[in-house]
Amino acid sequence: MTGAAGNIYDLGYRGYDGPRVGRRAVALALLRQTLRASYGIGRGGRAKLVPFGLGLLGLLPAVLAVGIAALVSQAGPGGPDLEEASPIRHDTYQGLSATIIMLFCAAQAPELFGRDQRYGVLPLYFSRSLGRADYALARLGGLALAVFALSIAPHVVLTLGAILAASDPLTGLAKEAPDVPRSLAISVLDAGVLAGVAGVIAAWTPRRAYATAAIIGAFIVPPIVVALSARLAAGGLARALVLVTPGDLLDGANAAIFGSIPDSPAVAAAGLPAWSYLAAASIGIAACVALVLRRYLRITV
Amino acid sequence: MPLITTEGLTKRYPGSVTALDGLTLSLEPGIIGLVGANGAGKSTLLRILLGLLDPTSGIATVLGHDVATDGAGLRRYVGYMPESDCLPPDSTATDFVTQMGRLSGLPASAARERAAEVLRHVGLYEERYRQIGGYSTGMKQRVKLAQALVHDPRLLLLDEPTNGLDPAGRDEMLALVRRTGTEFGIAVVVASHLLGEIERVCDFLVAIDAGRLLHAAPLGTFTERTGALAVEVEDNAPALAAALTAAGLRVTVDGRTVLVELADDQQYDAVRDAVATLGLPLVRMQQRRHGLEDLFQ
Repeated sequence: MTGAAGNIYDLGYRGYDGPRVGRRAVALALLRQTLRASYGIGRGGRAKLVPFGLGLLGLLPAVLAVGIAALVSQAGPGGPDLEEASPIRHDTYQGLSATIIMLFCAAQAPELFGRDQRYGVLPLYFSRSLGRADYALARLGGLALAVFALSIAPHVVLTLGAILAASDPLTGLAKEAPDVPRSLAISVLDAGVLAGVAGVIAAWTPRRAYATAAIIGAFIVPPIVVALSARLAAGGLARALVLVTPGDLLDGANAAIFGSIPDSPAVAAAGLPAWSYLAAASIGIAACVALVLRRYLRITV
Repeated sequence: MPLITTEGLTKRYPGSVTALDGLTLSLEPGIIGLVGANGAGKSTLLRILLGLLDPTSGIATVLGHDVATDGAGLRRYVGYMPESDCLPPDSTATDFVTQMGRLSGLPASAARERAAEVLRHVGLYEERYRQIGGYSTGMKQRVKLAQALVHDPRLLLLDEPTNGLDPAGRDEMLALVRRTGTEFGIAVVVASHLLGEIERVCDFLVAIDAGRLLHAAPLGTFTERTGALAVEVEDNAPALAAALTAAGLRVTVDGRTVLVELADDQQYDAVRDAVATLGLPLVRMQQRRHGLEDLFQ
């Protein structure tokens, strides 16, 4: 510190008498840090490459759809109703972005959950005012928020595009309004199910490469099993398996929420009632939270 | 209020390994050395005091908080430096220590200021903006100490703070520990298997062996004078011993050192005369103290 006369004083060590925040604020700070870390913010440029690259890729169809709609509306009224004709709509977007979100989870979850275990940082967390459950929930919540952002962003682009392209913004808004809660709902389920599954695997698999492989496996192997069991004429089994396959489960939930036709042939063939997908997704999310909590409550540090 | 109390503290690991065996202690603030061989139960004790590990039986309090029921309350005021590696290599020291400050309950801006302050205190300056992966062992140990200090704790628990350091690094780390304890008034518990280190920094000593308390007393009482004078000569110690015996002193020879039992100051003269008469190259004369090693014999 430089004084008035330009002298340099060594003040030595000073204590801290300022405010201290409580446990809840500490957990929120960790959640915020997790959300930032899942997009590589606060790290080098290379860490941002994958999350932002996938984010842009996920937005691309929405941007294209809005652009084409704008071009068509330039051609004047009387043209085909693009909203109906376009394959890129609120109710179809889950199918378009599911793979990208799964890749995001496979790339980022091992970073968020495995790093602290690999480098032995957990004792430092658990010897602070943060509890073990706080840590688990903050990490999982941060990943889920990151996935939610990835899932909802294209819906926001579609909505804004529709409002701006409409002859009168209020008409556009009125037309979009029913899809807003639906888009929010499917994004919440996307975040809960996909971040949940990835979080459980990453929390129990400290080694990064194994965790990434296991997460991708958890997303792509079950659909194969479903298809096989359907082929082998075990129809009942295939119907049940649809509910434990993350991709099919979300496809069914999406169709239930928007009242549309499911993307996946397996889901269409299963013909389960709409509520069963929503119930299975809720149970699945709760199970994932419980498994992540269990991991961190029991882990020896 | 005592700093730390334990009563009948016992920890058994699966497979009938007993790490702590009915340990009962009451420690007052100061710089406390916790000494014992590897596997004596030092790390287990520290981890129980932090609430990282549950004891099998017995109770412990730290700063008046019960470890079992109020772990979160006490951990706000405790800093912990583990023995093992605990630093992510792809983070900078500043970022890491700032984050640890936030997780200890400091607001964001205060955490940044405190991180800069403690990193300067442990002797990391420009390097703190580099990734920890490129640090030497000595620098990593400093970061580990910094993260334990960032929230201005009232008690520091240090587990083998000089692990892996070269002699110069050891001296610096011990000086830092000593300064932290004396200048800042932070109570410190240093666990170490090296008695020499404990002797240099601590005021109070707790010796444990196989999970049991061996001794707990101020350091001075361990190292009182023994009333023996060690006379080290370059060669011909037996001749010196013979001359001193002839002069009526009680001596024993240990290599190049002759141990003389002291009764009064006249014996110094006798030693001086004997060495001068024989023309022996005198290396040193020193009053013997009890070594801490004697504890474990």
